Amino acid sequence: MKISLRDVGSVRVVEVEGDVDLGTSPAFRRTLFEALPHAATVALNLQAIRYIDSSGIATLIEVLKASQRLNKEFVLFGLSPAVEQVFRLTHVSRIFKIFQTEQEALGTT
Amino acid sequence: MTGTPRYLQVSFALPSDPRYLPVVRGAIAPLAAAIGWDECDCRAITLAVDEALTNVIRHAYQNRRDGLIEMECRESSDGLEITLLDNGAPPDKSSICARELGCDQPGGLGTHIIREVMDSVSYETSDKGNRFVARKTLRKKP
Repeated sequence: MKISLRDVGSVRVVEVEGDVDLGTSPAFRRTLFEALPHAATVALNLQAIRYIDSSGIATLIEVLKASQRLNKEFVLFGLSPAVEQVFRLTHVSRIFKIFQTEQEALGTT
Repeated sequence: MTGTPRYLQVSFALPSDPRYLPVVRGAIAPLAAAIGWDECDCRAITLAVDEALTNVIRHAYQNRRDGLIEMECRESSDGLEITLLDNGAPPDKSSICARELGCDQPGGLGTHIIREVMDSVSYETSDKGNRFVARKTLRKKP
């Protein structure tokens, strides 16, 4: 799994590539929690995620709840087919703000 | 030597170390495809197997990396059977619960996925260890 960060105005964009599973989700979680205090919005690009398991989805839920406590925005965009399928299986789509493209995600801020 | 098996059977013996999870995932998807599932079902079956292994690593072996997991994937006349054996702590059946659908709590997702994807799931504990069995039937498309 590869993670990179960049800032676009007040938004910190987090890009993740590869597999998020029990072995890699601690780094995924740490990166997202470290990004939250530094921007008004954290936007997570899920386009290059080949695989995500329940530990990855649980991390997204934890980060969302932390963002709400901190009065920040946490948005997702570019869901790959693999990610979309896990979101469907776990019925979590309705709790996140999900956009197709980065432009749409950043336009919400 | 016994005769040629009629159906594919694959066995793994792996340490309870998450770095081996991608290896298993890399084997399950092509196995499910060979049996006849489409790409979407292959991804779902792979996810369910990965979640079952993750449960063993987290709960039976409590994230220790030196436990033994024996896994058998057996094609049958109508689908696939996955068996996992471990020697870790026995599962607390009262705590094996799938999450409520659509709620925003992070726990119980893995168990929910396994039950959603597979047709039957069972857990047994004996003096030989813990045994998890999941089956899925291939439904022929008309």
